[in-house]
Amino acid sequence: MAAYVLVAPASESEALAELAAAPEGTIAVLAGGSDLLLDLEEGLRAPRRVVSLRRLPWRRHRWLSGGLEIGSTEPLADLEADPELAARCPALAQAIAAVGSPALRRQATVGGNLGRAAPASDLIPVLLALDAEVELVSGSGTRSLGLDRFLRASRVTALAPTELIRSVRCPEVRTRSAYLWQRVRPSNDISQIGVAVAWSPGERRWRVSLGGSPPRPVLAEDAAAELAGPNPGETELARASERLAAHPALVTDRRASDEHRRRLAGTLLDRAVRATMAPGRPAP
Amino acid sequence: MSAAPPSIGVNGRPVALEEVPGDERLLDTLRWRLGLRGTKEGCRTGECGACTVLVNGEGRLSCLALAHELEGTEVTTVEALHQDPVGRAVQEAFAEEAALQCGYCTPGFVVALTGLLRGDGPPRPTPELLAALGGNLCRCTGYASIARAVERARTRLR
Ligand SMILES: Cc1cc2nc3c(=O)[nH]c(=O)nc-3n(C[C@H](O)[C@H](O)[C@H](O)COP(=O)(O)OP(=O)(O)OC[C@H]3O[C@@H](n4cnc5c(N)ncnc54)[C@H](O)[C@@H]3O)c2cc1C
Ligand code: FES
Ligand code: FES
Repeated sequence: MAAYVLVAPASESEALAELAAAPEGTIAVLAGGSDLLLDLEEGLRAPRRVVSLRRLPWRRHRWLSGGLEIGSTEPLADLEADPELAARCPALAQAIAAVGSPALRRQATVGGNLGRAAPASDLIPVLLALDAEVELVSGSGTRSLGLDRFLRASRVTALAPTELIRSVRCPEVRTRSAYLWQRVRPSNDISQIGVAVAWSPGERRWRVSLGGSPPRPVLAEDAAAELAGPNPGETELARASERLAAHPALVTDRRASDEHRRRLAGTLLDRAVRATMAPGRPAP
Repeated sequence: MSAAPPSIGVNGRPVALEEVPGDERLLDTLRWRLGLRGTKEGCRTGECGACTVLVNGEGRLSCLALAHELEGTEVTTVEALHQDPVGRAVQEAFAEEAALQCGYCTPGFVVALTGLLRGDGPPRPTPELLAALGGNLCRCTGYASIARAVERARTRLR
């Protein structure tokens, strides 16, 4: 006998009705399943019903005036296949390329990555640096939350049991952005640390974020402030790297020591900012 | 009006999903329901690539996909790979380079490489192909012979 009943509603309202009707803890939401199926197999969750989002019309992204909207169920590989992505949001293209393997990325979705809210997510640091907003929908309407507020703790988000993530919106294309990471193996391994940087042409300031260290990826305002203008010099870069290396979010866990992470944080920040200033890059 | 019963195609034959439980993974459908044991189970957690199959021509991990989630798609396993000229070239390249020892990882490698080499346009450069095979693990060969097989298959298809 099947461990659970799998249902694939054909519309958003049907999917939301499923969630609303289920007693808490008895239902789970399935996008690509690359995290959920492992939890189910290990018995970490034992829902009676699993709601697949595969029939919902969210598997696409759109370039908006100046920004990007990503449907929550779009597989990472589909986003990666858009040649505009590397040109307009290089950091996001780099983070996607870091996830698992090409086969995994045909399954893994953006919404699933945010729903999982793993400390070592490669997408979250970049989406923080792009000031992404998460669009949530439930039977009683939609709401939009800044990603920083959406994330609560390791694998804990602001998502209510009756809500779904519909899309993620980046308000501004940040052509000068980069994401660098360190891990033991390039494929199918988890980042010990990830550093994302992005220059916001609208706000005329840098965004810097750190991932890989528990409990969750964070924005590093201090380090970003040190970078000051669009073309930081050696002094600014050195100060920003020093600040980032001292960030309290860098801690020890089974994957890396805080000391290891501190050394890498400064170096990766320096390299990431330089990468955005390399010749041939579009002007800020 | 009655909708067509849900099915997937496996190596060109329709497989009705009505009998398949909702929690069954494609890997189990292939190996235990259809007896297609060429697709291997290594880790069951998406980390080794031994279970790679083609879904609509692209490599996917059958251990991480519920069969029902692939409704309406065409699945190709290693058993049918020789029917595709690219698949055959890849298999020959692995044989000629003796790119295996125990062979457990081989179906995953040849299927994944076939997926990467299919389609129009010239094959991607070897380093890119090798990076794209990073999700396929081999515990025997040390990868050198596999890298040679990748180069050989690529050259043949150029
Ligand atoms: C071998 C392997 C390697 C990996 N490597 C990396 C890596 O390098 N970097 C990285 O960041 N991640 C990695 N991951 C993690 C994983 O692939 C990603 O987190 C992926 O993006 C999850 O997407 P999914 O669609 O498969 O999620 P699912 O497993 O379907 O869902 C994950 C969680 O989010 C919830 N959810 C999904 N969609 C929604 C929605 N629309 N609304 C509300 N809740 C939702 C689900 O209920 C579940 O709790 C790896 C995983 C594996 C198995
Ligand atoms: S068995 Fe599927 S990746 Fe290992
Ligand atoms: S030949 Fe034995 S695992 Fe690759």
